[in-house]
Amino acid sequence: MTGLELRHLSKGFKSGKVLDDVSLSVQAGEIVVVFGPSGTGKTVLLRIVAGVQEPDSGSVVIDEEDVTEASPEARGVGMAFQNFALFPHFSTFDNIASPLEARATPSAKLKEQVGAVARMLKIDHVLGHAPRELSNGQKQRTALARALVAQPKVLLLDDPLRNVDAKLRYEMRLELPRLLRTFNAAVIYVTQDYKEAMALGDHIAVLRNGRIEQWAPPTTVYREPISIDVARLFGDPTINLLPCRLEANGASGHVTLFGRRVPISGAYNHAAGRDLIVGLRPEHVAVSETEAPDAIPFDLDAVMPVNVRSVLYLRGKGGEELLATVSESDSGRFGRGHRQVWVRFAPGDLLLFDAATGQRIAPQLH
Amino acid sequence: MAQLLLDSVSKTYRPRGKEPVQAVKRVSLDVKDGEIVALLGSSGCGKTSMLRMIAGFEDVTEGAIRIGGKEIHKLPPAQRDVAMAFEGYSLYPPLKVRENIGFALLRERGGGADIEKRVNHIAELLEIGDILDRYPTVISAGQQQRTSLARALIRRAPVSLLDEPMSQLEPQLRAILRARLKDYLIEHKMTTVFVTHDQTEAIALADRIAVMEKGELQQFGTPSEIKQSPSNLFVASFIGEPPMNIFDAAISAEGNGAAISGLGPNGEPAFHLRAPATDTNSGRRVRLGIRPHLIEIGANGSVDATGRVITNHWLGDQSHICFEIGGCSVVGVTDRPIEARAGDSLPVRFPLGAVHLFDADSGRALAHGLGQ
Repeated sequence: MTGLELRHLSKGFKSGKVLDDVSLSVQAGEIVVVFGPSGTGKTVLLRIVAGVQEPDSGSVVIDEEDVTEASPEARGVGMAFQNFALFPHFSTFDNIASPLEARATPSAKLKEQVGAVARMLKIDHVLGHAPRELSNGQKQRTALARALVAQPKVLLLDDPLRNVDAKLRYEMRLELPRLLRTFNAAVIYVTQDYKEAMALGDHIAVLRNGRIEQWAPPTTVYREPISIDVARLFGDPTINLLPCRLEANGASGHVTLFGRRVPISGAYNHAAGRDLIVGLRPEHVAVSETEAPDAIPFDLDAVMPVNVRSVLYLRGKGGEELLATVSESDSGRFGRGHRQVWVRFAPGDLLLFDAATGQRIAPQLH
Repeated sequence: MAQLLLDSVSKTYRPRGKEPVQAVKRVSLDVKDGEIVALLGSSGCGKTSMLRMIAGFEDVTEGAIRIGGKEIHKLPPAQRDVAMAFEGYSLYPPLKVRENIGFALLRERGGGADIEKRVNHIAELLEIGDILDRYPTVISAGQQQRTSLARALIRRAPVSLLDEPMSQLEPQLRAILRARLKDYLIEHKMTTVFVTHDQTEAIALADRIAVMEKGELQQFGTPSEIKQSPSNLFVASFIGEPPMNIFDAAISAEGNGAAISGLGPNGEPAFHLRAPATDTNSGRRVRLGIRPHLIEIGANGSVDATGRVITNHWLGDQSHICFEIGGCSVVGVTDRPIEARAGDSLPVRFPLGAVHLFDADSGRALAHGLGQ
């Protein structure tokens, strides 16, 4: 396959294991997001691919060639960092040109390539400027241009939008997929922002404590998170998590939630009697001001409008907390809160996790 | 608690050997008893200077500040009936988290049992119940921030001042802690002023928002007033994520109504909207704004334009679609997935009620909704 393959990479330092048997593959033209909180080994992974750090075991394969022992410049890898890492005494042009200079590219060709990538990134008007004369957005585009100019087979982006302001970050989120597609590189994109991960990734590798906890397309990570930890990392507001016990009886099962017996969909005989945590996403909680037989009474304690929706802060009769999101047009009728409301949700939207291990329990297949 | 009044307050800094800087320019605000008000703006807009003048850490250059009808801006901080949570936390290093939080209550009359109960309650509310016996130097920045917040909130002072109260929170805790904080402030009818640069936080927590820029108050209103009737282009584009779409546009008379043309990058018309007569002059150059989630994408029936999809991102609970119409790049948000790939065409409608017009030169708002 053309692209990048990482096979069973492990790396340890004195303080312990940083990467533990990590395997993943990125095809040419594909973006794989490596997502995880800080300290999970994301940057070490990139350094190993780039060739500036050696793995203890495992291999790095680019276009079916093992490059684990190859020098960084022989690998055809481009890299951009969150702190930009521009040469302060070089102009924008010279910064972008530096990977081509290193390979003694003829000057006419060099000029042409730098010009083309600068136009694409809309920084062709600041090619004569020094880094200190650039805005953060322009610095970040310069760093990207430098990573792309030599048309690398593999592109490593280490949280490149971290240090630019929210508006610019959003614009780049829309622009990057189209830009990267034109270069047809295998891209590894590291971020801690789940929205960026979902927007940009063809696949997401959720990295936690040096291991890939889940490897799946964005929608699958969101809908079928493999564990409580992964479920909590994706979604804003964070998924509601409620302890309960499962009573399964053939194809129909119940959980006790908010003092009620609530049906669940799917067969869960294999998990009967276990202590569970139920996950319920805020957008799957329907809130009404009118009573219905199957609806559960809650106190509405605060209404928080966000951008497109409002978040409702609900408390059950047993003191359980629940967050719900409702559309902006619906939120007006809840005022400032502090009133009684009724809550419903669909059994199919409940995610079940084992309380002891935190792993998700999927229904049995027939 | 108490009403807080800022009457034409100005602040001028006079650094030695440099030009004076006017950080706050004649700002008036009335914060009602029990109201939650956000001071919102980017760095250097004057919001923190305002908070520090209310607290008494900065002199007021001109104007007056009153709490509960009493002029307080010449009093020392301790006599002003305000509690403040600092952005830099300012915890007492030799005291445990528990003692830091309860510190101000020690002066109050009443038993220690009550203090302990209140400390435990506020600590649980802010998820720091398990670190009460640690010292500030060994807890994380986020925990220090919540300790500082707890120390201010527990007093239930006549006026509470919070400087960037939640900037260090890990994202997984943000929504629930915002919710509990808002519930607490409402339950105890606490008059609260908080400073933030994060428009999402301002909208989520505040009853009213004061949007500041360059020391001037741009608008003071409820979150929905500010979203639906922004007073100028600055407010319109500062509030909302993703930001409002804004295009150059031209108005011309058409029959007994008006035609509004959105213009592409080279000034050529990209799309047309038909509206009833507006009181803005024909031929006038304006800027047209519409919020991403109010654009109707994939709508049946009458269509204003066809968009060519550039990117389509599903984020689990909403779609963000970027498309291009006659050279204009437009962002739309829906709460359902849209089946479309880059290069596909989508019918697009701009509901007239959601269209804002701004003066092209001054940025002042001309119309919110074009009536039908």
